[in-house]
Amino acid sequence: MIPRIKNISKWGFVSGRISVLEAGFMTKDFLFNMLNMEKIDDVIALLQDTFLRDYISPGAVWLGEDFGAIFDRCFYDMAVSLKGDCPSTLPVDIFLLQGDYLNLKTALTGKKTFLFPSGIFSYEMLSSIADGDYGDLPLPFKESPEWTGTDIFNIMPGDLDIMLDGSYLRHLLLLSRQTESEMIRRYIRNRVHSYLVIILWRALNQGISLKRYQQYLPPVGDFTPLIDELAGISNLENWRGIIGGEMGEIFFECCAYEEKAHIAIFDTRVMNYLLRIVHDGAYQTAGPERVFAFLLGLYVEMQNLKLVVTGRLNRIDPGFLKERLRDCYV
Amino acid sequence: MLPEWIELGRGLCYGGAGLAFGLAGAGSAWGISIAVHQCAGVLREKPELFGRMLVMIALPGTQGFYGFIAAILIMTQTGLIGGSAIKITLGTGLAMFFVGLGCGIAQLVSAIKQGEASAAGISLIARRPEAAGRAILFPAFVETYAVVGLLATVLFIIFLTQPLALKFLGQ
Repeated sequence: MIPRIKNISKWGFVSGRISVLEAGFMTKDFLFNMLNMEKIDDVIALLQDTFLRDYISPGAVWLGEDFGAIFDRCFYDMAVSLKGDCPSTLPVDIFLLQGDYLNLKTALTGKKTFLFPSGIFSYEMLSSIADGDYGDLPLPFKESPEWTGTDIFNIMPGDLDIMLDGSYLRHLLLLSRQTESEMIRRYIRNRVHSYLVIILWRALNQGISLKRYQQYLPPVGDFTPLIDELAGISNLENWRGIIGGEMGEIFFECCAYEEKAHIAIFDTRVMNYLLRIVHDGAYQTAGPERVFAFLLGLYVEMQNLKLVVTGRLNRIDPGFLKERLRDCYV
Repeated sequence: MLPEWIELGRGLCYGGAGLAFGLAGAGSAWGISIAVHQCAGVLREKPELFGRMLVMIALPGTQGFYGFIAAILIMTQTGLIGGSAIKITLGTGLAMFFVGLGCGIAQLVSAIKQGEASAAGISLIARRPEAAGRAILFPAFVETYAVVGLLATVLFIIFLTQPLALKFLGQ
């Protein structure tokens, strides 16, 4: 058969859109420039050159609106818009899944006001769960051995959060099995790996017993033994060898920093590593990897802008913010 | 030479002509479709780029015309259209058939590949409109081999219908 770029016709339209949208990405110099500005009004004026231009009116009086919500809305609106043009929604669903699980958390408290756009979980399904019909709960949630299938109110709220985290990670692994893209599979595996480390690390720092995580988080595919092993060691210095792989190396590098900053720096370094994994997708003419790489780039850009704007609003030292900036897509 | 062999040779000539045009036309349609998908996505975000995109979309369409030229030439040289009909042997017919097939394959593959090269060029223009001139060059390089394919086909058809070649192939 004639060798050709796989799926080019199917993914051509959305990839064409992305080609234009990519021109809107900011460089790190742009972010540094924002950080060095004295007046916050000047920082906000610069947002007109970013993807946020449709969300912030030029010259509008700053009324203290939650900037974080604006950045999230910009990202999710773009993801939903691209999803409509994709022949397979999987690359976009991976990004919408986090919002889906936050919506599910809301539904499990009996509320029907969902803040995030619907990805895999429809609002009808979430409303039905909010009404107490737990038969509609997603399969990865039901896989938890702690789920009895009856009343959700028997589970403590903190434990329910851990169960939702576990379910989210299982769902990510489920999606990775459905994709043909090696790049996306590699991203998900590393994402799940790093997410597990962050969850357990944060719990350890907060003095929460890791036994609860051993009970409510599994199963998480191949990573289930990792939960048991990390939960069994309270000395962080011994974690590196158990975490293993690239995440273990990043973990080791982060341990050299001030103790309070460990997790934030680990999160930043992991995101930089993940961005490097998917960056090849940006050079594709068309394909699911192209969409995936763009969305991760946009996600990182929104995180960076959120950090710069909210950091400057709260008068945080620019030098400190610079350290926390993630690598840019361009 | 039996009359039925002559008829078979003539049939093979027209088969070759059909393949030359059919494969080239299909390739052009396929290549244009690839470029158009990418272009439509770009125009959704930046409609003002339509003028620069038009050439990129049209480029894979040339192969269809090359196939058409090859097909017409086979038919005129063998006497189906105008002129005097020549006696076509089985050898000449087979040669013409494979010339048409070769031309068709060259045009089919080059049109698809040119569509892909155009799609990549369209991506470049979308990001950097000022690079439109350079972006056209990439698919133009693919076009070179479509033109070479057509030239080879024209030369083959002309040589194969010369009296010497007809004699050599068994008239």
